[in-house]
Amino acid sequence: MRLFFNESIKRGLVQLVRRQLYWLVMMVVPIACAIFLLELMKPGGIQRVPVGIVDLDNSMVSRRIERNLRGMQQVDIVNHYTNYRAAIDAVQRGDIYGFILMPDRLEHKALSGQEPVVSYYVNYAYFPPASMQYKGFKTITMLANGSIAKTTLEATGLLTDQGVMTLLQPILTQVHALNNPWLNYSYYLNLSFIPGLLALFIMLTTTFSIGTELKYGTCREWIAAAGRSIEFALFGKLAPHTFIFTCTGWMIQFLMHRVYGLPLNCNPWHMVLAMPLFVLANQGFALTMMCIVPNFRYGTTLCTLLGMLSFSFCGFSLPAESMYPWVHAIGCVVPVKYYFLLSIDQALNGLPLYYSRLYYIALIVFIAAPWPLLWRLKRECIKPIYVP
Amino acid sequence: MSSRRDNRVVRWLYDLFRVWKREVWFSFHDEGVIIFFLVLCLVYPVLYALIYNTETARDVAVVVVDDDRSPDSRQFVRALDATPEVCVVQYAASLDEARHLLALKQCYGIVRFAGGYGRTIHRGEQAHVEVYCDMGLMFRYKQILIGVTNVQQALNAQMLQQRLSVVPVNISSGTIRNEQVPLGNTGMGLASAVLPAIFILVLQQSMLLGICMLHGGSRERRLHNQGVDPLEIPAGVAATILGKSLCYWMIYILPTIYTLSIAPKFFDFPQVGNLRDILVLVLPFLLATSFMGQALKIFANDRESTFIAMVFTSVIFVFLSGISWPRCSMSPLWLVVGNFVPSTWAVNAYVQMQSNGATLAQQSTAYWMLWVLAGVMFVLAYVVERFICRRRYRRMQHYAKRDPMALIREEYRRQAIDVLPDNINQADFGTPGGAIEN
Repeated sequence: MRLFFNESIKRGLVQLVRRQLYWLVMMVVPIACAIFLLELMKPGGIQRVPVGIVDLDNSMVSRRIERNLRGMQQVDIVNHYTNYRAAIDAVQRGDIYGFILMPDRLEHKALSGQEPVVSYYVNYAYFPPASMQYKGFKTITMLANGSIAKTTLEATGLLTDQGVMTLLQPILTQVHALNNPWLNYSYYLNLSFIPGLLALFIMLTTTFSIGTELKYGTCREWIAAAGRSIEFALFGKLAPHTFIFTCTGWMIQFLMHRVYGLPLNCNPWHMVLAMPLFVLANQGFALTMMCIVPNFRYGTTLCTLLGMLSFSFCGFSLPAESMYPWVHAIGCVVPVKYYFLLSIDQALNGLPLYYSRLYYIALIVFIAAPWPLLWRLKRECIKPIYVP
Repeated sequence: MSSRRDNRVVRWLYDLFRVWKREVWFSFHDEGVIIFFLVLCLVYPVLYALIYNTETARDVAVVVVDDDRSPDSRQFVRALDATPEVCVVQYAASLDEARHLLALKQCYGIVRFAGGYGRTIHRGEQAHVEVYCDMGLMFRYKQILIGVTNVQQALNAQMLQQRLSVVPVNISSGTIRNEQVPLGNTGMGLASAVLPAIFILVLQQSMLLGICMLHGGSRERRLHNQGVDPLEIPAGVAATILGKSLCYWMIYILPTIYTLSIAPKFFDFPQVGNLRDILVLVLPFLLATSFMGQALKIFANDRESTFIAMVFTSVIFVFLSGISWPRCSMSPLWLVVGNFVPSTWAVNAYVQMQSNGATLAQQSTAYWMLWVLAGVMFVLAYVVERFICRRRYRRMQHYAKRDPMALIREEYRRQAIDVLPDNINQADFGTPGGAIEN
């Protein structure tokens, strides 16, 4: 028994050492991808979105609005345009992401009670910068409105400075973004996309390493070396992968939470111990796919398809509860979703472990899932049929 | 002299034609390649569109902690519940209970009214509403923020009217109204913003995967035929690259029209672009992509390693295109890296055309950059083919001459298989496989 065990491990290690591809996709590329994403979003928030201004009034009021807008960090006025047509042309060319239009006779109309309209045109074809522009333009126009109303009311002499503000804004809402008060995009995108990429590599490597045995017709020898035990054979093949991927995962966690300063508000062990579970869960998932479709090509295709789509249907950007129920359901069958929820609970929100217990259990279920189906893979290995 | 030169040109063109013809034959006789070139382009746009088709998040769940229990706080909550963005699912007795519900994910926000909220308003002072948002997803935060801000503005305007009725000033005097006009994606939906970029990337990535898989297949044939691919047309480097590119170009005409023009119609995505302009833009894009595929093929050693080597690049290219993280916030390094990927230019130009109605003239920078990129990628593909791939083939043939089993033995050694399996026949390596008639 021990001999078979040793033989399997030896075979697995030899395969790893001889094929450069494994080292690349298990260590170099995942870490490089993580550094790329972290480095790309290092500034954190989207700031100084290039916008334009169309000032048809050129009055004191319109210039004050422009001065205030220049002071906002969300937008950066890169150009003045003489009219709407020129500004739209700049948007279509991609020079600016939006512009604010101050109509003719703005000041005159505002002071004579004709309620002029200041419009801001925001290019929503680019979503994140559009949100920033909306925030900047909305604040500025509201402030402009408030300042004119304040001047008018103060002129009546009935109200003090403080009184005017409470009159204009009797209710003030204070919105607190929990654990990410800077609205840092990196916190939110990298907690989901980096594990998503790692999961993709784990699943592809697992299916690839099992698939090559089927393809090269060596699966019989592979099973024989493990004493006709599929469990030993798989252990020998996948345990070294688990070890390397876990180390890679820890390295990525170190980069994320220590080097690039992503939040880690829980006991670090909660995340450190989640990593081997995550690696095993993805291997379990890929193995389940290979058991369901014991064919190199189809197994790999299935894992690629689910791995790539998991970025979308796991609800990394659009909330899962807002999707169609069937999309939400598919999202629940991939391990990365649970790791993502777990890292939100633990790393971002620092909740007690109790609240994340189900996600840890889900990861364990993925590890256990392939066991009842292993007989299918074994049967395929003993009687292989390679479909080119 | 002249006739000899003419002969060479004709010969070159004939080689080009033969390479093109053979590549078409390969593409339509390989199940995997058909899946990449045609099925993927057919299915992926629909699948992605279905995932994001709900466009936005409605009724994000929040709980209310009302320590005031006054008509004013109830009015705020009623108005908040009535917004399309937010849904009040429960009243919690205390902030602790609300935090428990937040941790259980039964809600994603807490709205809290401190004691004395109503009294403060009626005393003519400013009352505060505290809102706490879970930041697991930016989208939920955004929806809660919009809902709460709209309610606050509406209630403030209402109260201002009531209060000013006792002050002797013209109510409407000194007000400026503001209005947002969404451009491009007028519904402000996520799908309409993201999907046009995804469509371009589906075209690029499927082509790259297909090209790499074809190369993997060719390399496998070489292993079994003493370093010679019996099905390949012997032609010059440039003729080979151009012939293959022409083939991919031709195959992609229908998938391109379907993906960029027909698929947006299914889901009513922005489609104000001129189809002719879009197709003209796509010509250099497809050409640059096909050359890029022929440069990247060195990373695919067999058919299946294509998946591992190429799939992850989709995520990288999405980010480089600037659709998730805007290019205006990228560092110069990533801008330059992004400029070397055809999808970056094509995505931005296509989005501007299809969503904002830009013309090809307005996107001329992207268009000409795609031609430049096609040139750069051609040179890269040429260098790869001539100085890496062909040298490898010659080396393979050299080893195979000395020992017919050398190549296959080396391949098995790389796979850590020390004993050749029974199903590989020694006789298979004796002579090159039967080449089909050209």
